[in-house]
Amino acid sequence: MKNLFKILLVLSFFGIIPVSAMDVIEVVKKANHVSYYQGDDGRAKVNMRIIDAQGRERVREFVILRKDDDNTDGKQKFYVYFNKPADVKKMVFMVVKNMERADDRWLYLPGLDLVKRIAASDERTSFVGSHFFYEDVSGRGIREDTHEIMEENDSNYIVKSTPKDTNAVEFAFFKSWIHKKTFLPVKIEYYDDLGQKIRSYSALKVELIDGHPTVTAASMENHQTGGKTLMNYSAVKYDVGLPDNIFTERYLRKTPRKYLR
Amino acid sequence: MIHISDTAIHRPKAFFWLSGLLSLIMITLVALPSVWPTTFSMLYPLQIDTDPENMLSVDEPVRVYHNARKKEFSLYDMVVVGVVNESHTQGVFNKNSLTDIHALADFAKNIEGVISVDLMAPSTVDNIEPGGLGVVKFEWLMKQPPVDDAEALSIRTKAQNLPLLNGTIVSEDGRAIALYIPITAKNISYNVVEELKVKIAEFGSDDNYHITGLPVAQDVFGVEMFIQMAISAPMAMVLIFLLMWYFFKKASLVVSPMIVAMVSVITTMGLLVITGNTVHIMSSMIPIFIMPIAVLDAIHILSDFYDKYPRFKDRKKTLAHVMKELSAPMLYTTLTTAVGFASLSLTPIPPVQVFGLFVAIGVILAWLFTIALVPAYIMLMPEESFADFGLDLSDENISSPMARMLNGLGRVTYGGAKLIIVAVFVLAAVAWVGIGKIVINDNPVKWFSTDHEIRVADRALNERFAGTYMAYLVLEGAEEEPLSQFAEGLKIGLQSHNLSEMVAEVDAVLPQTEDAGQLVDRLSVRIEQRMETVSDEEWDSWDTALTWLGEYLGRTETFKNPEVLNYMSRLQEYLQATGLVGKSNSLSDVVKTVHRELFMGNKGDYRIPETRGAVAETLITYQNSHRPQDLWHFVTPDYKKSNIWLQLKSGDNRDMTALMDKVDQFFKDNPAPEGISHDWFGLTYINVIWQDKMVSGMAEAFIGSFIIVLIMMIFLFRSVWWGILAMIPLTFTIGMIYGIIGLIGKDYDMPVAVLSSLSLGLAVDYAIHFLARAREMRRNYPDWKITSVEVFGEPARAITRNVIVVGIGFMPLLAAPLIPYQTVGVFISAILVLAGLASLTILPALIRLFEGPLFKRI
Repeated sequence: MKNLFKILLVLSFFGIIPVSAMDVIEVVKKANHVSYYQGDDGRAKVNMRIIDAQGRERVREFVILRKDDDNTDGKQKFYVYFNKPADVKKMVFMVVKNMERADDRWLYLPGLDLVKRIAASDERTSFVGSHFFYEDVSGRGIREDTHEIMEENDSNYIVKSTPKDTNAVEFAFFKSWIHKKTFLPVKIEYYDDLGQKIRSYSALKVELIDGHPTVTAASMENHQTGGKTLMNYSAVKYDVGLPDNIFTERYLRKTPRKYLR
Repeated sequence: MIHISDTAIHRPKAFFWLSGLLSLIMITLVALPSVWPTTFSMLYPLQIDTDPENMLSVDEPVRVYHNARKKEFSLYDMVVVGVVNESHTQGVFNKNSLTDIHALADFAKNIEGVISVDLMAPSTVDNIEPGGLGVVKFEWLMKQPPVDDAEALSIRTKAQNLPLLNGTIVSEDGRAIALYIPITAKNISYNVVEELKVKIAEFGSDDNYHITGLPVAQDVFGVEMFIQMAISAPMAMVLIFLLMWYFFKKASLVVSPMIVAMVSVITTMGLLVITGNTVHIMSSMIPIFIMPIAVLDAIHILSDFYDKYPRFKDRKKTLAHVMKELSAPMLYTTLTTAVGFASLSLTPIPPVQVFGLFVAIGVILAWLFTIALVPAYIMLMPEESFADFGLDLSDENISSPMARMLNGLGRVTYGGAKLIIVAVFVLAAVAWVGIGKIVINDNPVKWFSTDHEIRVADRALNERFAGTYMAYLVLEGAEEEPLSQFAEGLKIGLQSHNLSEMVAEVDAVLPQTEDAGQLVDRLSVRIEQRMETVSDEEWDSWDTALTWLGEYLGRTETFKNPEVLNYMSRLQEYLQATGLVGKSNSLSDVVKTVHRELFMGNKGDYRIPETRGAVAETLITYQNSHRPQDLWHFVTPDYKKSNIWLQLKSGDNRDMTALMDKVDQFFKDNPAPEGISHDWFGLTYINVIWQDKMVSGMAEAFIGSFIIVLIMMIFLFRSVWWGILAMIPLTFTIGMIYGIIGLIGKDYDMPVAVLSSLSLGLAVDYAIHFLARAREMRRNYPDWKITSVEVFGEPARAITRNVIVVGIGFMPLLAAPLIPYQTVGVFISAILVLAGLASLTILPALIRLFEGPLFKRI
């Protein structure tokens, strides 16, 4: 709660003009934009701490590169390069996010000298053993759910999203607290069909980077298994000028060192 | 003692009021906290405990280890639901059955106390498979019920292809499915099962649902335990009443021993509960043990009173005479019985200790109530009602068949003494052979009768699946090298990776670091700082060095080492070959399966990859599934401890013990890499441990009580030889019984183990009465020949009545639904009858043969 307050305080300094009585789809679109599409491209170093119900901790470290195809908040690409744990160093996870069909995903396993495409059947599986899902990392298509504003207060829109295909997901609906000034979702809660909270996401820290409000610390908690994952972003940069060819199968094996340093 | 009886004779009413009041207080003290637990929280309520784990005390190292590992590997006790379909050609792999199973799994997830995320059912586990060229796929095995039978079959094919599911979720014949429902605590399994049964009843299919698992067995056990107490104890009461009525022909008189028995049982059980002890499988037998023992002394008093009353024709005088004659033997038989039971508190098994202690208390209470209430009761009856009372002395010897039979037996023991002794030696030799054949074995599921639904489910599931009995084999790497040694290796490595400049850093941070991980972390931070300023070419070599540093630390992760995983695989193959294991599941199976699926499901790739990095990659791939936490059932996140889950088809301790020996042998023959050691946990293992403790503990308890009773006998008879003589019939009896157990192939299990100590204190009673009366009577006659005729009169009849009452008194245990109670019932009756017979044959035969030395000083 204290964290949330701090974030709101920080956000209020960004001086983004407050909006009111907005259409729900506008809110969701803007939230989607600030979460995944700020700048033409971006990079960040991520430190991930996976803490299980018994308090045991595992660490992952990776660099994430992102490039949008155009300014329509549509197709985009991700390149995730692992530094830690040392025994999976150079492992790469790559996504081409499509709008009209399921995303293309690749995994490069250097130790096995293997490039694998991951079938797109289900993106709600764990991202490298963390409490985040693949879909949390690359973003969930806004057209996959129906949205409604449940509540609106001074700082947030509280949006309820209900999946159109309930069989494709493990939740019944989720609620997002979308900050009015920045449109960053500061909290997301997932509920099962009995109305029990099963997972929750929190933005723990927001910084203004290259003019973009950016979440630099976040957590995802699983209330069923217990435990949570903390993500810390550092060396965040926008409009790096990433070339397109990085996001090809060839670069899975050949590290684009320049952009990963 | 006589003082108590005297007081009771003079104030009979007061004694009955006191006893009644005592019973009432006990009942109130137990009832208040049991009915209103919150209001009377300072009192102990009635607590039932059916957990075999409690056969070991809470702080027992094996149990502490078991619970610590369970927590570490996030394992829970499981209810196993097996679904079998005999009518469909595809077994349960048809649309309708799978739809029901899908619904059941959904339903089970929301039952209170079920760990939904760890539930294993077709709809909750992942299928890993190649999804076409260059694609690996994770998907729920059965996200939705199949739309037709063909899809049902494809679910089967997928599951059978995954070693972790085949034989576990899908039966080996591919026709049945099992669901594994983990629960937070064993004591809620009854409710979980009841809810499941309600749901299953909604299904209109011809599928058979079998529910089993050790926690279910335990919970059902608790329910049946009450049935035992509710049926057997009152039945024993009625039987004993009828027998005594038959012996003494006067219903109103034999009410008194019944009152003694009731008051003794209520007081003892009350004491047990209010002192905070739980009612366990052992302590639930306390009432049925106290009941027959409680009436023994009453029988002696009534027997003697019955015989002597006609001579005195006065209650007070008769009672005074009777109490004088019986006080010593009654006191001694009570004490020996109490000692026999109390010796059980020497065993290391808490429930057995409680049982022994409280039966001992009950026996002493019963003695107190007997010497007070029986005379008091006689005094409360109108004098006229004794007018026609007693045995007509004139036809005593001819009228009753028992009397005639005993007379004959007396003559036989005199005439055929040598023959009897020879027969004893022959039988003892046979018993010796039998004892050598005893098989120590137990299995809590077999405590139910063979047609019980739990046994039926147990058979049905173990025929089809890899096994419903779980045991866990923990492997653990050797202790880590000391930090200084780690640092030395680190410095050498840094130099060979062109990082000589960091060697000084190692020495600089070493004094402030606690472990290798911290040292590497701090060093990494320094290296990363340096890397920010170097050129691209230099950066690459720094990056390589940084990777090396991480790998150097990674060596401590024992279970990412391919050599270790291959060793585990060999161990598992060996386990499978022993035939004792239905199936084993381990980290090595996970790695091999993922590796195979990464390489297009190619059978030849079902193997451990060559390098640590490749192993790590298969593991991280596995964690991309819906259930990444499943990995931590097999290994700790630091990869220092690994757990092999063994499914056994048999929960027999004998089989588990054999398995443990085999594993020890494997480690001896195949030295493990990285100094890996092994240990066990799991309920099947726990059962073996408490059984071992029980067997050795019982031997100690038996020897202990044997010596104490022998000393008491020597003291009572003021003679070493008479003392030893008193011990002979029960020694022979117990030897014979265990010989028979060995010869008929009955397992030496929990109830059989406790029998020796149980019966010791009771069986010696007959010898005490026989020898005490024989010695006393021998004073009045010139030789044993004449004495023996007298001894085989009233004393032998009293003993025989006792044998019959106690022997039959335990019989109602046969009506109990649980096997251990039946075993105790059969064998304790057998022991007591045999001990009575042995006392009435071996003792007179020995006295006949050693008459001279035995009566020299008398």
